[in-house]
Amino acid sequence: MTEERDSQLSAMFDDELPGAECELLARRLTRDEALRAQWSRFSMIGAALRAERGVALHDRVACRVQSVVAKEATYGDGTVDSAATSSQPIPATAFQTKIASSSRWLRFARPIAGASIAAGVAAVSIMWMRSDLGGSDPMLASNPVAAPASTSETIVLTPDATTLASNQASNPAPAARVPSNGEPDVYVTPAPSSSPGIAPPARLANYVVAHSEYSGPLSRRMALLGLVAADSDVEVPAEENAAAKGDAAAGAADGP
Amino acid sequence: MTVEESDLVLVKRVQRGDKAAFDLLVRKYQHKVVKLVLRYVRNPAEAEDIAQEAFIKAYRALPQFRGDSAFYTWMYRIAINTAKNSLASRDRSPIKYDLDLTDPEESHGVQTKLQDPDTPEGMALTEEIRQVVNSAIDALPEELKTAIVLRELDGLSYEEIAAAMECPVGTVRSRIFRAREAIDKRLRDVFEGGLGRTEEMV
Repeated sequence: MTEERDSQLSAMFDDELPGAECELLARRLTRDEALRAQWSRFSMIGAALRAERGVALHDRVACRVQSVVAKEATYGDGTVDSAATSSQPIPATAFQTKIASSSRWLRFARPIAGASIAAGVAAVSIMWMRSDLGGSDPMLASNPVAAPASTSETIVLTPDATTLASNQASNPAPAARVPSNGEPDVYVTPAPSSSPGIAPPARLANYVVAHSEYSGPLSRRMALLGLVAADSDVEVPAEENAAAKGDAAAGAADGP
Repeated sequence: MTVEESDLVLVKRVQRGDKAAFDLLVRKYQHKVVKLVLRYVRNPAEAEDIAQEAFIKAYRALPQFRGDSAFYTWMYRIAINTAKNSLASRDRSPIKYDLDLTDPEESHGVQTKLQDPDTPEGMALTEEIRQVVNSAIDALPEELKTAIVLRELDGLSYEEIAAAMECPVGTVRSRIFRAREAIDKRLRDVFEGGLGRTEEMV
């Protein structure tokens, strides 16, 4: 086995080894220092035979070149195809190209895949939240918000939607009715204005009213008083003011 | 049989990132390149420096090597240009020869009359190696000696040697290998462990 390998080495040194065997032996040569030393001795034997005067029979030049080349850039991607057994240049080049193109594709695909996963998670989360808001949360389902075009917001604290519909049909702007437990069924909140300064109190009022059944009577009244005071501080346009007064009068006439 | 295919295999390995393959090419041709440069500069140490520079230039230019010519022919041109540039930079004239030194075939047998480039120890070692090789050659059977001499001194291919010796190419390959093996064994016996890397010894 060793003799056959040494025979191949001798033939390769003379450029007389077939390509396939040459590629295999070249791969082994680059890893086996003993084999490389033998390769050097073959070179030395030739130089000694040719009586090349002035030429020292050592590897000094090779040592120097190797130390410089070690600092030089590596060609290709630095990973020689160790599995290649053929000396044909095309498969090796095709292999390199394939590796390079696939890694390039992966470089672009990776962030896209990450973004797709993130978008999918976000979509699922939104759908889950919507389904949760739409049906399963009785608190939010029972507190519909009136359309912004209307001049006043009516929040009905009845969980049944049909009751809400009947109330709205029979009484478009009802006054606050006080049930037996002292808590009104319907709250009329001031109409939202186009002024940006009014919007936060209106939203706050909605929030307070919507959560009033979970708060204590004292804190609820304090909050409502605060809201009314804040609302009175805001200048209401004449048209809105008249409409509000009309609503209040109509509510008084329809009231129990 | 292939021509210059092993060099091309090594070149392609270098082009794919295998620096060790370039080391093999340098080891194979370093003596020839130094000998070539010694025809342009007198100082053997300077010849080694130029040879080193030529090999480094070759490494840097290797991605452009397409294999249209043999690696050594390409290397030969680089070495000559490097030597000429080195001389021009120091405003010196090369040694004059009647032969065309740019022709590898014509300049193959030219012997330079120069001093040995090394230290006394290096010179002694080189001389000792030569003696060992010559004595090993003398001890070879006639057919092995003829095969290795035709190959190394006359530069014949296996096919040409087979034609000259009237034997199959496989027999030539075997004879050359056996001749080298015998000389190599002698070298390893004399220098204990071989002479693959003699930098430390020198």
